[in-house]
Amino acid sequence: MNTRKKKSKISTKIIYIFLSLLAVVYLLPLLWVIYVSLKDDKTLFVSPWALPERLMVENYTFAWTAGRLGVATLNSTFVCGITLMLCLLIGSMAAFAIGRMRWKLSGAMMTYFLTGMMIPVHCILIPVFTRFSKMHLTNSQAGLILPYLTLSLPITIFIMTGFFQSLPNELFESACIDGCSIYRSFTHIALPLSKTGLFVTGLMTFVANWNELLLAMVFISDDAKKTLPVSLSKFVGPYNTNYSQMFAAIVIAIIPTIIVYCMFSNQIVEGLTAGAVKG
Amino acid sequence: MKKKVLSVLLSTAMVASMLVGCGGESNAPAADNGGGQETASSGEAASASGGGVEEITWMFWDDLNATEDLISIGYKDTVERFNKDYEGKYHVNVVTTNLEEYYAKLNALVAAGETPDCFIVSPGPNLDVYVDPGVAADLTDYLKADGWLDTFNGGEGAFSQQTYDGKIYAVPLNIAAACVFYNTEMFEAAGVTTMPTDWQGMLDACDKLQAAGYTPLTISAGTAWCLSMLAGYLCDSEGVDLAAIDSGNASWLDANVVNATNKLVEISQYFQQTAAGDTNDVATANFYNEEAAMLIQGSWAIAQINGANPEFESKCGVFAFPGTDGRVIAKSDSLAMSAKTAHPDAVIAFMKYFTDDTAQKYTAEVGGKIPVTTVEYDASKAPAQLEYVMDVFGNAKSTFGFYNESMATTEAGAFFDDTMVSIYLGTPVEDGLASLEDFYKNNVWNK
Amino acid sequence: MDKLLRDKKAIVIFVAPAFLLFTFVLFIPICQSVYYSLCDYNALTAPKFIGFENYRQLFTIDRTMKIALKNSLFFLIFSVVTQLIAGLILAALLTNIKKGRDFFKNVYYLPCVLSSAALGLLWMFVFTPKLGINQILAQFGIEGPLWLMDTKGFIILPMWVIASVSLWQYVGQSMMLYMAQISGISGTLYEASYIDGCTKAQAFRHITLPLIRPMVATAMSLNAIGSLKFFDLIFNMTEGGPNHMTDVLATHLYAQGFKYFKYGYASAIGTILLIMCLIVTFIINKFVKVDNYEM
Repeated sequence: MNTRKKKSKISTKIIYIFLSLLAVVYLLPLLWVIYVSLKDDKTLFVSPWALPERLMVENYTFAWTAGRLGVATLNSTFVCGITLMLCLLIGSMAAFAIGRMRWKLSGAMMTYFLTGMMIPVHCILIPVFTRFSKMHLTNSQAGLILPYLTLSLPITIFIMTGFFQSLPNELFESACIDGCSIYRSFTHIALPLSKTGLFVTGLMTFVANWNELLLAMVFISDDAKKTLPVSLSKFVGPYNTNYSQMFAAIVIAIIPTIIVYCMFSNQIVEGLTAGAVKG
Repeated sequence: MKKKVLSVLLSTAMVASMLVGCGGESNAPAADNGGGQETASSGEAASASGGGVEEITWMFWDDLNATEDLISIGYKDTVERFNKDYEGKYHVNVVTTNLEEYYAKLNALVAAGETPDCFIVSPGPNLDVYVDPGVAADLTDYLKADGWLDTFNGGEGAFSQQTYDGKIYAVPLNIAAACVFYNTEMFEAAGVTTMPTDWQGMLDACDKLQAAGYTPLTISAGTAWCLSMLAGYLCDSEGVDLAAIDSGNASWLDANVVNATNKLVEISQYFQQTAAGDTNDVATANFYNEEAAMLIQGSWAIAQINGANPEFESKCGVFAFPGTDGRVIAKSDSLAMSAKTAHPDAVIAFMKYFTDDTAQKYTAEVGGKIPVTTVEYDASKAPAQLEYVMDVFGNAKSTFGFYNESMATTEAGAFFDDTMVSIYLGTPVEDGLASLEDFYKNNVWNK
Repeated sequence: MDKLLRDKKAIVIFVAPAFLLFTFVLFIPICQSVYYSLCDYNALTAPKFIGFENYRQLFTIDRTMKIALKNSLFFLIFSVVTQLIAGLILAALLTNIKKGRDFFKNVYYLPCVLSSAALGLLWMFVFTPKLGINQILAQFGIEGPLWLMDTKGFIILPMWVIASVSLWQYVGQSMMLYMAQISGISGTLYEASYIDGCTKAQAFRHITLPLIRPMVATAMSLNAIGSLKFFDLIFNMTEGGPNHMTDVLATHLYAQGFKYFKYGYASAIGTILLIMCLIVTFIINKFVKVDNYEM
């Protein structure tokens, strides 16, 4: 018993060393972005790794004002927030029917939704745009929410189906005996038990939409409605590029995702422990 | 706890949506402090429209508020002047994207029947695409109507790249010429006193510079068109006739192409060591940071060079690429008008603002590009290098377009660029040219 | 119970919103795009039906297509295998430590929440000879290779570099999915196994692995589809260069559709991509997934 404990102590140490080294590989490039964003463009090329002579906070103020990143952040929050909530609701409803309920076409329906994940967005850009343009949905936030929502649905349904399928049958059986309706067992059993799944998929779809550029660029022309990635793309000009400013803009764009991520990730941790205790 | 978080999330989203709603309506978002006046005012004008103001849209590939590009900043002034002068009559709204997504968006708009009234486009195959199906309007009559055409330097000759079957489909706004920029101090130190005028002279100068311990040439093979610009000069000096190749009367395997490509391989020994991986920006930085003696680049690089290293302006000289028999590569930005626009007069009036004296003076004095009209400008205000470029351009017997923009299709141009890069990276000349020949067989000559 | 789960009305209510949205916003455009793949179409003029000509060109003449197919398949295999192994190892290690678990998990997941376009630019800088890694290597007197320009070998160096960066970026996602699934496994199962004298490794092998098998199938399919559609990192790191050597199907599609205006041709590439994704998902589901696994 003693040797086993010792062994596990050593192995824990090795695990920690490994994990820490890996963490360095993850954090170093990201710290470098922040570092570059505080330099000026000229010294960047002369001495890329040297410490900046003075911190170029202007890079940030310029990016924020000239890029109109304030409005853009709000727009992105609005579009992605609405999309996220609708997507989780509609997606998990469909996933519940596919993963939990018994009907002949459930497999076919799954495949049908899956095709949405498989086609690159470039391929459907022109058909979707012409369709939306006829419906006067271009250049409006609704016109962006709809495709974002629809593009997020397949992955939500795909992952949530997996979660619903792995829920134990007995729960539903006992609920059924108690006279619980199917809608109630969805909202009161399936959803709460798949909280971790909801948070993971929610995070994935939110992030994907938050970073989406092509659709947003093509669909929105009005400056006041542009989303964050579109506003950020301003900093990559045709003939020359101010890299340190661009990196400052990237840092500004990253911060909200990190905040949202921390909010969700705490939920996931909670879900993890809750799951273990409840058993 | 969880409910709390959810409600917080919900309420943030609601607040955000309200804020955005307000921002959208008033068109003067609270978070926007500077740089946004232009759009804000355009928004007001838009909401005040309906009283007979003709609204047009102009699509452009750089953001007018965030840009540092001097030419783009000049365009912003032009737009503001136009909107002010024509207040109550015409109003232009600017739709911008970044360069990467520009054509994706423009084509989506065209496909949806929402072609912008006026849009910027590069001459060559990029313009062909809009002329052939009738997306771009014929501008000849407008140009000839009131002497507008005569203000251009060289009259109709200024439109050679924009003319199809005798009809003009786009208006050039400025010209950039590809030249050799050089570091005068390094040339002096290496004992190069006369500028090379032929191929052997160029090689000798490179030899001397190398012997003196300098990197003779900085170029980017990472950004393919940069290397291809050099290849274009070499092909032209060997007498390669692109039109003959396009029509199938000449081949990529002809001796003159092989000679030109061999020259490219020959001079590549003088490139900086990292040329294969350097991007355009890095290669240019090598030059203004005085790590290499020469840079072959379009004159738009002047603004970048002087902006990044102002002290370098006095050391920077310019000469024409040697051995081309007085031919110079030139490139222009051009404006096209939608054939379906409801307000052609407004668009024409708008276009004229880009070629009037104020705009063209700015082009030369601040933007550092060659004006398209015969405007008088104050040479002392312009960057020092522009005068040299003007000399090169003025002495040129004729001009020709960028090689990759002068071929049958955009794709053929890109294939040429890639072939030149792969030859530089070590593909044997014959194999590289054979693949180009194959591409033409399959994609150009059979159509 | 069974009757409840076969409630037709409930099924329709649950599926209808997603079905309708999906059909109108995505599926019809996909069908349109498949139709365009049979046309000569540049988005500016009306499509002209030409049958399978685009496909014939793709498979007989187009040299870039061959490279793109090869690279896409390399990418597929590399990312499915490495993400599965690395994701599982990380998930297993992280569930077994207590101190700092959140920290490590957050750090590894971080790149997933950042835009791959921005990360692509960042890594492009890191591998630029003038700025990044090679400058550090030079300090030690090592001349670094041309990370993103080298063209030797069957699978060229830039592809390995990009594949590693994508592993770096996305492994957090697999890890997270596995961890979420592991958290659903009842703790009593492990306790019982420890009482029976199981080591942690044995418990992982005999309890964790079988129970997360459905999630393995899900994560693998996600990886497979994601790697076939892979675009942002490559576009920002090499744009398919040098000389198309790092082109994959999605970048080839982009260049054909939006650089050269061959929209019909690009749609053909998209259709091939769709078919490949369908085949791969089918294979994964056939061999990895267990239907109706009861916990």
